[in-house]
Amino acid sequence: MIVRILIVDDDPLIRDVLRDVLDEEPDMEVVAVAADAREAVELAERHAPMVVVLDVRMPFGGGSRAAVEILQRAPGTRILAFSAYADPGAVDEMRRAGVIDYLEKGVRNAELVAAVRRLGVQ
Amino acid sequence: MQPDAWRDSDLFRLLVLGVRDYGIFMLDPGGHIVSWNAGAERINGYTAEEIIGRHFSTFYPPEDVQSGKPDWELRVARAEGALEDEGWRVRKDGTRFWANVIITALYGDDGELRGFGKVTRDMTERRRAEQQLTDRRRLLAHLVEAQERERQRIAWDVHDDTIQAMVAVDMRLQLLAGKLPDEYRQAVDQLDSAVRATISRLRNLVFRVRPPGIERQGLRNSLAVYLADTAMVGEIHYSLEREPADDAAITIFRICQEALTNVRKHARASSAAITLSTVDRGFLVRVTDDGVGLPDLDPNAGHFGLIEMRERAEASGGWCTVTAREGGGTVVEFWLPDVRP
Repeated sequence: MIVRILIVDDDPLIRDVLRDVLDEEPDMEVVAVAADAREAVELAERHAPMVVVLDVRMPFGGGSRAAVEILQRAPGTRILAFSAYADPGAVDEMRRAGVIDYLEKGVRNAELVAAVRRLGVQ
Repeated sequence: MQPDAWRDSDLFRLLVLGVRDYGIFMLDPGGHIVSWNAGAERINGYTAEEIIGRHFSTFYPPEDVQSGKPDWELRVARAEGALEDEGWRVRKDGTRFWANVIITALYGDDGELRGFGKVTRDMTERRRAEQQLTDRRRLLAHLVEAQERERQRIAWDVHDDTIQAMVAVDMRLQLLAGKLPDEYRQAVDQLDSAVRATISRLRNLVFRVRPPGIERQGLRNSLAVYLADTAMVGEIHYSLEREPADDAAITIFRICQEALTNVRKHARASSAAITLSTVDRGFLVRVTDDGVGLPDLDPNAGHFGLIEMRERAEASGGWCTVTAREGGGTVVEFWLPDVRP
């Protein structure tokens, strides 16, 4: 089974490399890439991805608001927060918004891939 | 000699006449000058011949004369026995000076008002010095605030921009390493390690540079949080009688931070203690550690941020000294005045 993924990050360098890292995996496919929270909700609704890799601090509402709206419109989506901020406040806010896993930017690619795969097969 | 006799004596008159730091003179009940001394001449610029017989409103600026202040002051002194005032007065040459004035109503044994005694001090210099001090404090508070704002901006920039770019590069290098033949792979792995080490150093930098959030959690907690993050065993003895003002709190925090960074980096300490107490209307802070001591304690040598600590303390009107501790370790001790009233 192919894990269909939506990437959301306002940093173009991170967006591009995330896409390449995940697309490299034979069992994964990046179906859409969004640059802010608003676009994330639209694309999630349109593409119905299984996993969203979601940045936390972004324009138009940030990751927590995007997570809440994505889960309202596509309840089966599983969201992985991928953020430069790992302080307890940010993690807690994302968890309360319905995010299943939280990774700090800077983890090894293998760890990120494993986390996405874990969410994809749940 | 009895007090009354002493007051009447020539000696007493000579004393009053000779005083140079205070203008001491008498007014008749209507406010005209009837005696004059050396201090009054020095402060006001008039000789006795020039001024005796004139009304004391001569010394007041036009706006005070128009508002009737001189007569009002005599009325108050008469009703209440005395009056003290601080304000501008005018010298003979038209220049102004800041005066402290005490007017005392003088009554005879029969209860009749004989006149007024007037003592004037020129406070211009003192007022200027006080104002300079206030200006300096205000400037220092602005400086500390601007410095913290700038640090916050740098922390954000490094965190949100530089580190993110480095993270993207690191992810890209890992991707690349997986695709390269073995002979290149080692070089890319080394590059990857270097990038990761740099990210780690940048994160440390962000942690050190950003404002510690004293306004939210107080100085004591901010220090405790910082100490915990340095991975040293630490304790804080906090007995300040009064919480420091914002700029003093930041200065205390930054000096402690510098001291802890030094002991961790250079003195290889594993535990540290911060003691804060109120001494001489100010904040005395001691940061002690159990390390091997700093090899060069000369603050002028430019090492270990010693200069920065001392400059911070001295800019706030305090001092900072670094000494070797008996039995090993280092003591950073500094004191900052509490400049609030």
